[in-house]
Order: sequence, then C-alpha cells, then structure tokens
Amino acid sequence: MTVDPANTSLGRMLLEEISPVVMVLSTPLVEEDCLKNGLSFLQMLNPFSSFNNIDVPVRTASDQPYRLQKFKLRLYYASDVKQPNLEVGKKKLKEIVTEAGEKDLSELCSDAPQISNALVSSESGNPSSWFQCFNKQLVHMVSFSDHEAFDHPVACLLVASSKDEQPINRFVDLFNTNKLPSLLNDGAMDPKILKHYLLVHDNQDGPLDRATKLLAEMRSTFGSSDCQLLCINSSQNVQLKHQENPWAPYKSDASPSQHLGCFLNVDDISEIKDLMQDLSSKHIIPYMEQKIRVLNQQVSATRKGFRNQIKNLWWRKGKEDVVDSPTGSMYTFSSIESQIRVLGDCAFMLRDYELALSNYRLISTDYKLDKAWKRYAGVQEMIGLTYFLLDQSRKEAEYCLENAFNTYSKLGSSGQQNATRCGLWWIEMLKTRDQYKEAATVYFRVCGEDPLPSAVMLEQASYCYLLTKPSMLRKYGFHLVLAGDHYKKCDQIKHAIRTYRSAISVLKGTTWNHIKDHVHFHIGQWYASLEMYDVAVKHMLEVLACSHQSKTTQEFFLRDFLQIVQKTGKTFEVMKLQLPVINISSLKIIFEDNRTYASPSAASTRESLWRSLEEEMIPSFSTARTNWLELQSKLIPKKYRESNVCVAGEAVKVGIEFKNPLQIAISISGVSLICQLWQKTDEGTPDGNKSSEENDNDDNCEKLTTNIRDISSDDSLFILSEVDCSLGAGETITVQLTVTPRVEGTLQIVGVRWKLSGSVVGFHNFQSIYVKKNVVKGSRKAKLSPNDNLKFMVIKSIPRLHGSIQPLPEKVYAGTLQQLVLELRNQSEYPVKNLKMKVSHSRFLNIGNRENLTTQFPACLEKERDSGQSGALANSDMSHDVFLFPEDTLIQGKMPFLWPLWLRAAVPGYISLYISIYYEMGDISSVIRYRTLRLHYNLQVLPSLDVSFQISPSPLRLQQFLVRMDVVNRTSTESFQLHQLSSVGNQWEISLLQPPDSIFPLHSLKAGQGLSCFFMLKSCRKLSNSEDTISSISTPLASDVRLVPQGSGDSVYDITRSPLVDFHHCERLQQESSQQGDLNVIDFILISRMLKINADPGFCNAPHLISHHSCHCSVASAAPISWLVEGPGTLHHNFSSFCEVKLKMTIYNSSGATTFVRMKTFDSAGNVGRLTGVNAIQSATPGNQAGWHDVSLVNDIKVASNVPGTQLGKPLSLESVCPFIWSGPSSTNVQLEPKSSVEIPLQVCVFSPGTYDLSNYVLNWNLSPSNGRGNHEEGRQASGTCQGYPYYITLLQSA
Amino acid sequence: MIVCVAVVGHQNNPLYIQSFTEADDALKLHHIVHCSLDVVDERVNNPKKSGPTLNETFLGLLYPTENYKVYGYLTNTKVKFILVTTDLDVRDADVRNFFRRFHAAYVDAVSNPFHVPDKKITSRTFAERVSNIVKSFGLSSAG
Repeated sequence: MTVDPANTSLGRMLLEEISPVVMVLSTPLVEEDCLKNGLSFLQMLNPFSSFNNIDVPVRTASDQPYRLQKFKLRLYYASDVKQPNLEVGKKKLKEIVTEAGEKDLSELCSDAPQISNALVSSESGNPSSWFQCFNKQLVHMVSFSDHEAFDHPVACLLVASSKDEQPINRFVDLFNTNKLPSLLNDGAMDPKILKHYLLVHDNQDGPLDRATKLLAEMRSTFGSSDCQLLCINSSQNVQLKHQENPWAPYKSDASPSQHLGCFLNVDDISEIKDLMQDLSSKHIIPYMEQKIRVLNQQVSATRKGFRNQIKNLWWRKGKEDVVDSPTGSMYTFSSIESQIRVLGDCAFMLRDYELALSNYRLISTDYKLDKAWKRYAGVQEMIGLTYFLLDQSRKEAEYCLENAFNTYSKLGSSGQQNATRCGLWWIEMLKTRDQYKEAATVYFRVCGEDPLPSAVMLEQASYCYLLTKPSMLRKYGFHLVLAGDHYKKCDQIKHAIRTYRSAISVLKGTTWNHIKDHVHFHIGQWYASLEMYDVAVKHMLEVLACSHQSKTTQEFFLRDFLQIVQKTGKTFEVMKLQLPVINISSLKIIFEDNRTYASPSAASTRESLWRSLEEEMIPSFSTARTNWLELQSKLIPKKYRESNVCVAGEAVKVGIEFKNPLQIAISISGVSLICQLWQKTDEGTPDGNKSSEENDNDDNCEKLTTNIRDISSDDSLFILSEVDCSLGAGETITVQLTVTPRVEGTLQIVGVRWKLSGSVVGFHNFQSIYVKKNVVKGSRKAKLSPNDNLKFMVIKSIPRLHGSIQPLPEKVYAGTLQQLVLELRNQSEYPVKNLKMKVSHSRFLNIGNRENLTTQFPACLEKERDSGQSGALANSDMSHDVFLFPEDTLIQGKMPFLWPLWLRAAVPGYISLYISIYYEMGDISSVIRYRTLRLHYNLQVLPSLDVSFQISPSPLRLQQFLVRMDVVNRTSTESFQLHQLSSVGNQWEISLLQPPDSIFPLHSLKAGQGLSCFFMLKSCRKLSNSEDTISSISTPLASDVRLVPQGSGDSVYDITRSPLVDFHHCERLQQESSQQGDLNVIDFILISRMLKINADPGFCNAPHLISHHSCHCSVASAAPISWLVEGPGTLHHNFSSFCEVKLKMTIYNSSGATTFVRMKTFDSAGNVGRLTGVNAIQSATPGNQAGWHDVSLVNDIKVASNVPGTQLGKPLSLESVCPFIWSGPSSTNVQLEPKSSVEIPLQVCVFSPGTYDLSNYVLNWNLSPSNGRGNHEEGRQASGTCQGYPYYITLLQSA
Repeated sequence: MIVCVAVVGHQNNPLYIQSFTEADDALKLHHIVHCSLDVVDERVNNPKKSGPTLNETFLGLLYPTENYKVYGYLTNTKVKFILVTTDLDVRDADVRNFFRRFHAAYVDAVSNPFHVPDKKITSRTFAERVSNIVKSFGLSSAG
C-alpha cells in the first residue's frame, strides 16, 4: 500500500510548518479596525492563508512546469519574526499541558481505563490531540533560526488604514529597518524581499472615496501591481453570526459571547479570500520561482561541474584552520552556502523535492567539512524529510534524521530544541511506517533534562508501545509510570494520576506487587493532594495488605492511608478492606438448639462423638426415628425444620480468624457481626416487615449493612457483641463473636464488620464468598445451601442448664483419687426435669451418691474397726450406663444443683473427658422438648508411681506366696507416702516380711526413688481334698497392710467403699487378662499420698488419695501343679550301713481340672548340676505372673536364699561321687482333682555323710480335658514336665 | 557487577527477584525485569531472528538501558531468568555460564517436594546458591 507521503500526518505537518513566511507590518489603526471583530489583522487573514486547491503552475529550475494544489502561507507580524524566547516557549508548553490536565479532570473520578479503551483512543488519535498541540509548540520553539532558510520571510505585507494620515509615509515608516527583525538586519537573510502594500478601509467609517484615492496614490508610488485595497466591516451595525466560523479554530481562547468577525459580511470574506489567493499565486509563488531560477544559475556557475568541485575542495581545505566557531554567523546571505540553502528551501517549499535534495546534499558536505555542525544537522534533517516526501530510500531518510538528531544532540543545550524537533519529525516518519517500537525509543531519546517535555514524550512513547503489534504492554505501563513521575516533578498532578491510572490496567491481575503497590500508593497520595479523598482511599486500600514489603514501607503505607482517611473527616466504610485478612474457611458457627455446650471446647468437639455418647440418653433419636420425626413435623412447619434453630436470649457464637499480614501491629476495634432479624408476626409467619429490605441484591450490600446496624441500635431485636483486639506482626487470632436474638423470628448472619485503627470500617460478607460449605455445627442436613447455614429460626426462650465441674484440675498424677462436684444451674423460671447423665470415661470419672456431698474425703473411706464389711458393691454395673438422677430432681431458680463426682486419673496421658447431661423442659411447651448439656474437660495425667508385683510360690508352704512389690517414683519433684497395700481377691491374707520402718526409713518415696518390699501372701482357703467345694466369694474380701509405721494416726482405708471399689471394678475390666475367672489371681491396691502441696497452678490442692490398682496377678506358675518336698533337714547317722531317709512330697493341683501326675526319680549323678540349673531358670521366670514387669532393680534376690538351713558351696564338690540313690518306686502316678492335694512318700538311701541336693526328679503332668473345662486358655499347656527343685539334706556322721 | 537476578514464571509472574545492591532500588529493578518480559515475548514470538538458534535457551542481551544491561534466558518450561548487570563489557560466555548454573540451582529448588509450582521460591538454600553464583560471576569475568 503506497500512501502519498504528503497525505500522511508528517506530510501535512511539513506542509504546514515548512511553507513560505509572510511578514506582516501593520499600522495601529488597521489593528483597531480589525479588533471590532475581535480579531487582529493577522488573525483575520489567517483562515484564508492556506489553500487546498490553488492550482498554480510552477516552473522551477527545470523547464518542466507542474501545478501546485495545496499551498499555505505563514503570516507573522514582523515583531514575531525572531527566535522565540525559550522561557516564553516553556511557559506556553506548560499552559498547554495544564489546560489539557484540567480537561481531563472529569475522567479522573471515573474508573481506571482499560487497555482496550486506551488502544482504541490512541489509535484514533483522540487523546493525543493536545499532544499534537504540544509537539507543534515544541517545533515552533526553534523557528526563525538563522541556520535554516525556510522560516525566512519571502514576502512582506505592509498594511495601512485609510484613516491613517499620509498612508504613503506610513508604508515607508513601516519598513523602517530599525523595526525589522534581526534576521534581516544582521545579514542572515537577504533584506531585499517582495513587498506588498495593502490599504484597509473600514466601511463603517464612511464611503470608499478617500480609500480609492489613496490607492491610486499608492499605485503610483509603489507600482500598480503591488498595491491593493481591502474593505472590511461592511456589515453596517448588524452583528452577523457565521454558521461555520472560519476563525474559531484559530482563536480558541475567545469568549463565546464574542462573535468573531461579526462585522465581516460575505463580501468582506470573499474579498479577503481573493486577496490571499492573489498574494499567493500572483506574487509569492512567481517571486519564489524567480528566486529559485536565479539562485540555481549562481549555484551552477560556482559549484556545479568538475572544475568547481575541485576548486571547492581546495578552497575548503585552506579554510579549515580559520573556522573555530561552528555556529558563528560566518555565512551571510550572500555566501554561496547560504544561497544553496535558500535555494534548497525554496525548492522544498514549492515541492520541487529533487532540486531541493540535490542542493541539500551539495551543501551538506560543505558544512561537514566546515564543521558547521548545526547547519550540517539542519541540512541532514531536510535531506531526511525530502527523502521521506519523495518516498524513496527509507533507510537513507532514517539515517539522515538520526544523523541530524545525533548531531544536534552533540551540540549541547543550544541544539537541544532542534534535536527535539528533529526527533519529532523522525518519530512521525516512523509512525507513518508503523514502526511504533522504534518511534517509542526515539521518544525516549527526545527526553531531555526538562521534566515537562520529557513527561509528555514518555507518555507518547508509552502509546507507541501500545500501538506496537503485538502490544508491548509492560513497556507501555513502565513508560506511563515514568511519564507520571515526570509529570509529578513539574506539578502536573492530574496528568500524573492519569498516566498512573492507565498503568494500572497493565498490572491488573498480575502478581508484580511491588510495582502495583507503588502505582496505587502514589495515585492515592496524589488524589489526596487534590483533596479527592474518596478516590484516594480507594487506591490506598489496594496497598494495605502489602506483606511482601519491608516493615518501614508497611508502616509508611499504613500511616499515609490513615492520614488520608482522617482528612476525609468521616469514618470510611469499605467493602473490601484487606486488613486484616479474614480466613473465611475458618468460619465456625456454634449455636445451641437442643444441644448446649458448657465450654467452647465442648462445642468444637465432633458431633459424632457426642452423638454416640448420647445415643442411649436421647429419647427415640435413632431407634424410633419415625415417631420422632412425626412429632417434630407436627410441631414445626417444614420450612422451620430445614433451618437451624436457636433460642431467643441465647447467643449464637461465630468464630472467625483474623490474620495480620503485616510486620507491624494493627489494632482493630468494634468487631461485630452483621445480622438481620425478621420478627415473627402473630400469624406465625416471618415476613420482612421489620427490615423491609430483602437480601436479594448483593450489590446493595453496603447500604444494607448500614441499615441493619441502625435497626439493631434502634429497637434491639438482637444484641451483638463487640470485640477489640490488637494483632501483632503476622499474628492470627480467632475472634469469637456472638449475636443474641431477643425475639422470635428468623435470624440471618450476613457478615462481619470491624474498624481498623479507629477510622476505617471494613465489611466482610459471608455469603458472597461462601462457596464451600463448612459450617461445623448444626450441619444436620447436608442439603442445606450455604445461605441457610447462616439462617436461624429463633424460637422463644426455654430453660438452659449451665454446668461445671468443680474443682477439676488440669494436671493430676496418675492414680489420684479426688472428689469433684458437678454444679448445674438453671437461670430461667421454668424447671427442668428427668435429668440423665453420661460420662465418656468411667474409668476416670465416677458418679457418686448424694450422701457423698456431705462427707469428708478421704476420711469417709477409712475403715471403721467395728463395722467390718459395710460397703456393698454399690453400683459397679452403672459405669457404662446412663446415670439417672433421682426422679424428684428439679432444677429451678437461682439455687445450683450439686452432685458429687469422683475423679481417678487412671493412666498417664492426655485425657478428654466428655460428659453429657440430658434434661427435659418442665412446664413449657416448645419446639424443643429436651436439651443436652455437653461438658468437655481436658486432663493431663502425669505418671506418678510405677508399681509392679511379682508373686512366686513359697518353697516352704503350699498356698503361700512371696510377693515382691517394686515401686518407682516416676515424678521429678514429688514425694509420695505409701500408705497401704490391700489385696483384693479370693480370701487372701497379706503381711509384711519386714516392719515398715526398715523399708521406709524416710517414710516416703522421693522423686526418682525406687524400692522393693516383700510380702507374704497366704491363701485363707483350707487345703482341701478334691471333693471339697470352694467357698463362694460374693464380696471381695480385702486384707490390708499398713505401710506407714504404727501410731502415725492414719487408719486403713476401706477398699470396699464406694469410689474405690467402683474404680477397682473399672480397672479390673480394663486390665482384663487371660486368667479371667481363674481363681488363682489376686488384685492389689496400693494407696499412697502425695506429701507436699504442689504449687503448680495446673494442679488442684484438694484432698486426695493416690491408688494404684494391679489386677489379675496370678499366683500360679506355668504348671497347674505345685509340690512340696518335706523331710528332715539334717540327720545324724553312723553310716555303718547306708542311711535311709524318708521324705514326703505333697502335690497340689491349683488348676480347675483334674490332673494326672507322674513322678519319676533317677539316680544319674551327672544330671544333678544341670537339672538344678534348669530349675533355677524356671523359678526365676514364672510364666504367668501378670502384673509383673522388669522394673530394672537389682535382680539378684532369689527366693531360695531365704530358705533356712541351706549351706551353699559345700555340696558341689561332692557331686563327683555317687552320693545317694532313690530307694522308693522310681515312678509314681497320681490323679489329682481340682484344688486338691495328694501326698507321695519318697525314700532316699545315702551312703556317706554330706549335703545332698535331692532335685533329680521330674513331674510329668497331664490335664484332663474331660472335666468340662475344655476352654483352656491359650498359652496354657495341656501337659508338661516339671523339674524338681533343690531340696537339700545334710547327713552328719554320728559319733 | 550483577545488580539483580530474577525468575519469572511461565505466566509472567515473578517467582524470585533478588537485587544485589545496597541502594533502595527494588522498585526500579522490578520495573526493569517486568519490562524485559516484553522483549522476551518478542524474541520468542518472532522466531525469524532466531534461525539456527531456534531451540536456544539463552536469549542474549534483551535490552540495554542507560545504566544496565539485561540478559534473558528461557527454560523449556517457559520460565524466564533475567539478569541485570551494570557491567558494560560482558562476555557472552560468562552470561551463558551464569545462566547454566542458575538454571541448575532453580531446578534443584523446584525439585523440592515442598515447593509449590508457580509460587514464589522461598528456599533459603536457593537464595544462598544464587548469591554464590552471582558472586562468582564477577570473579570469573575478571579472571
């Protein structure tokens, strides 16, 4: 696509800017006449000085004529024909920019522009209208320079009025050299120029007579062709309104009331037109033609041709040394260089570009050689433009312009303006060729020191980046920001805002937060400086949550923001306040319908946990669901059933997380919920008569919320809680908010509001963001829409129990037994009844009796010496069931209802205790018939004593056992006093082997201390024969051993009393082992006390006991049988023959089944040592000793060492000889009924004196499966072999 | 001296920007990096210039500003690395070498299972490694 270069914007611009200049000299009277029309003389002519179709034939140097169509004359008063003052020019520039800024003011308040809009408008050239003005002004700032000729006037228009006296003289005076511009005077241009004389006649002043006379005079003086008469103001006293006022575009600052050219009628206008046409076509153009021809001839004569070129080069060379001022006026108008330049410019203006180009090129080298850089640059500039207009050699054109630009730039400040102009030409050329990116870089280069032009250039550069295909948006944004900064520097705030705002569109949706913050913050600041605080705040809001910025920046941002808000003088209400950040997923709503909670922790417990706990308590919840549903549906309409229910007067709690993203602390105050309540009317249907606005329109939220707040403050349909808090750096807190409805109706929680730093109110609407459904409580119906989760049906007030357990410690030591009190209060006037309670961990918490309230603990547990077995196994079965309070229990009024509870910290660890209390409404009919109170307590149980028992059969007696108790204090600080050890089980009797004083010299167990003590355990049952029945044990019989020295005043605690026995029952169930039902088990209860009072606040200092329960300690060894060898220990014999010793073995069957036992003896002496070893192992590792584990004590105490009369060391040396033989039957078979014993006689023959170990026998046993006890517990063998254990006999030689 | 290095995600979101100057010019460097993305885009979308180096990750000098030179590098996952330096005389090989090491560090950083793709790189190890690479860049070019 080829576009005529002259029709491009640059072409048009050149046509306008590089065209013949006509210097106008007028008398004051002429001006006076013209001013009647509100115009100066020049302005009057101006609209008619450009011609679109002048159609003048032109013949320049070549003989080929061509026709000019478009033509323009530039008219200037002689006083203006000079280099414009730089300061004035700058001022003008500023005016243009400021004016443009004012125009844009209206847009400033609107929304930020979109990129697409910017693209469209910049393509259509719309926003750049004032840019063109600005650019033109920049270009004009370097007009009438002496280094280029196209601004030099080609003609002079001398104007006098017919009223002037002696107009001829006036004409002569006008062209007085003193007043003429310096260009003509100082020799830069030829002072001989075309003169045209014009006589102006004002028709209002009278008839033409005088004027025509004067004209004739003039013609005779100046020549007939050069004089003309112009009549104006022909419209007599009638003000004309021109439909299309031709002057309007030229005089923009005219006030609208003034009608430009109001006295100029159509005749006048056509006369002016004719005048200008004549001037152009008949005088100026021919004059220029003439000039071109003359100059061309001169140039040809001196410079064209080979000879001249050689001469020129030679001449230049010699001249080189002389030149030292490159800009100096060494070239007068008569110098050949100037003439070539004039020739070029004239040819350019008459559009003989070929001629112009050849001359420019000619002169270019000369200037270069002369180092007249400014002139050189000027010529290069023109070469570039000529190339452009010729539409050839684009590269060359660009090169020339760049060259010119660079050369101008190198000149320093003097060339700066020219460089700018040249740059603008260049840019226009690039733009014409769609090289926007290159144009942008040129714009960037044009920027000088001066901030204002730089700003405008940068902004234009940014639009160029936008127009680049594809758009370079980031550079667009960047240059806009740069431009904004420059605008700011020269106080063009409005422009700065405009550019920054455009930059936002680029950054929107990206994560370049540093840049974004910078842009928003500055816009905010600038708006504030313009006192447009509302918009300022809007932008400042964007930078508030700047967690990525440094701490100082954050402080700075926040401080500025608050300052601006303060300046607005009102509390700002913002929908999207980002500070603090609200974690919407943390939204947690707790409301109480028939479930009520004693503490927040109870509310946050999983619903299913409560559900399973309450399952048995709540009437027909799961079992007869249909009934319940029917009942419910009768009571409440379906609509109600689907929404959550809350009770008037009871708070709905909302927990929400606030997060401070900043590194500085912020304070928020007045955090409260935004709610709506539709009061229920008498018909029972909630309608919106209280709050008339429905919640349909989300857009209207802000208005709505303010409205609601008013409602709440007015007639208090509900009460809101307000929370003030301070968020530290990076802190996250959960704020608990409540709303308490006061009347029946429908309550809707809309959102949350808060006040930041006391000045900005932020709102957060729950619904709008509420995508995920995560209301924690009350999500009974999964199909509820999110909105419904925030909607509650408020029913009328019903009783609600408040409960707590006193004094429940946070930390206890394991085993601590303590009395607690459950306290229930009912604050409403209606009573509640049918109380039930359930506890999640009955091992830890036991429900007491009413009497316990009055008794003293632990004194109540002390055994009364006379009463014997007083306590019954009271409610051991209750532990897993629902506890029913006595039926007469009514809770009403102010009196708290108390009920005792027992706490025993069973095992170390963290325990959550859940207690649920069910109650029914008394005399009140309501949708809710019953409610549950849920209590939740956390308990930390610390390890206290580690107790283990080891029971081994006594080798001395059947039915007697040695009990070894190992106790270790596992605490780090506490001391314990061991009080008593009680055995619970099948009639056992327990006694200490040593007095307590010798075991506990300190009477206590210090922290970390461990000790062992030994007890003798005796079965109280008679050794019965197999047919004896076992006495049934209905109540566990206890036998107690005091571990404190006698006389310390404490009596023995009765372990059969209520809490102890109940907890023991639980422990038994808990520690259940394989020996259940086995009669050979024993339970131990060790009761101890903590010595000093703990100062740790977590502990409770209430009176307590510490009980340790060790259940199911088996007395039985691996084999079901036990035996005892009895005989004389020491014998005297003369050993004349062998000595015969009679022994007796008693075998006892401890199992519940019939057992067959075969006893075998063998005499092999070599086996003795080995068998003994096996024996020792077996006795040291009793297989089924429940409750025993290694307590890492010194473990070298052997049961055998207690056997009296043993002399160790001696017999081992004797084993080599054959010491003795079994003389009885080598094998004996016996059948043993359960729990029976049998005696076998044994006989040994000994041949020499000494000590002998009679352990070389084995017992093979077989359990009979026929006895109905087929369910042998696993781990129990059906048969086995027992090695004999050592029995030492000492024979002495009698005298 | 290297003034700034940056990692920019494939959606032109900044993943890591670290400046190595004392002056408070973070914003300026952000702008420079941001703008250089335009040039990266241009380079990538106009393959005619690339010719034989079509699959080259190193993008070369993106644009010279008054005081800085900006170099670019594009990984095959369209993650961009930007290097801003004040050195006027930079050898191409040095820059290539730098980017190669930088790329390795980046790959190691994002291979961390706790790194969320397309989120800012917060790894301290990465930062340390980068600063080491940056330090050694000056040395190698000097030596």
